[in-house]
Amino acid sequence: MMKRDRYKRMNPGRRRFLTVLMGMLTFLPGLGVAARPHEPRRLSLHEADFYHPHDLKG
Amino acid sequence: MAVVCELCPRECVIPEGEAGDCRVRVNIGGRLRASTYGRPSAMHIDPMEKKPLYHFHPGSSVFSIATAGCNLHCLNCQNWQLSQRGGEEMEQIYRADPPQLIELARENGCESIAYTYSDPIVFYEYVQDSSELARQAGLHNVFITAGYINKKPLRQLCQVLDASNTDLKAFDDRFYREVNGGTLKPVLDALVTFREQGVWLEVTNLVIPTLNDDLSMIRRMAKWIRDELGEDTPLHFSRFHPQYRMRNLPPTPGETLDRARKEAMDAGLRFVYVGNVLGHEGNSTYCPQDGTLLIGRVGFRITENNLTPDGRCPSCDRPIPGVWQ
Repeated sequence: MMKRDRYKRMNPGRRRFLTVLMGMLTFLPGLGVAARPHEPRRLSLHEADFYHPHDLKG
Repeated sequence: MAVVCELCPRECVIPEGEAGDCRVRVNIGGRLRASTYGRPSAMHIDPMEKKPLYHFHPGSSVFSIATAGCNLHCLNCQNWQLSQRGGEEMEQIYRADPPQLIELARENGCESIAYTYSDPIVFYEYVQDSSELARQAGLHNVFITAGYINKKPLRQLCQVLDASNTDLKAFDDRFYREVNGGTLKPVLDALVTFREQGVWLEVTNLVIPTLNDDLSMIRRMAKWIRDELGEDTPLHFSRFHPQYRMRNLPPTPGETLDRARKEAMDAGLRFVYVGNVLGHEGNSTYCPQDGTLLIGRVGFRITENNLTPDGRCPSCDRPIPGVWQ
């Protein structure tokens, strides 16, 4: 018996449950990616030596 | 808040969110950041002769690194793809914090680390931290630079440096302004600082036809080196090849380099070399007292080393200045 035939002959409640479960498994991870903030990743940068603050006039 | 970078004589005033003239020292939130710290874009294993350093551990391998950026803008730059770009423009950026860098040098059997290719002045903090660790690990630190740096940071850096080859691009302020985008005086000061601080120093002068090949200028330069740095300071005259924004001039003729070498030796310098000319007699080191061939070189390769283990001429026993072991 082919897989497809086995699925068709399945109890309708069990079939619906499996359909919803598969849908959720594919949809939810996508939601997680979409929910990430769209910001560039910040890398730590080493602070330089030998500088001082300067107040720009005007 | 803007900041003033005090590392080099440009003393760039850098508004927030912008970089200095070197493209790699960046003001972020009122703090100056060395954006290429731990992020070299070039890593190679070179012979010491390539730096060129002829009187410092001859024939040894040196782990050579550079990051993007430079505080000069030489029209004839041979590494312009590296030096005239900011870090974000590089195709290749490695991650190598100082401890990783030391490990890489040791794994590859190198005795020294060279900060080179672009100008290591612009990745000053990376050089400083790496050099401290390298020294603790028994490695030497070699600084290949154009010397366009302020005195205070250079004095501090000299505490961890062992040798430098510094470019003296011409003995003429106008040349520096027109060809390199810098000035002469800070470079002369840097050369004197290296000497005062006990860093082994060799000087390179790239001879460019029609621009800095005037023999009277070369004579003045050689006399200044003799008087201020000492007659034992090795001077390398290097052959120019047309590139970057100076493709309109021909390579330096061999006779020009011969004349420059003779002029510098007549002025009293004892070790004057010719570089970028394969097989030239000026590639090799001779005893200034009796002319014995001490170290024979073809290009970057040593063909014979006749120095005694303690760095003397085998014929007359004269000590030859340098760091030989």
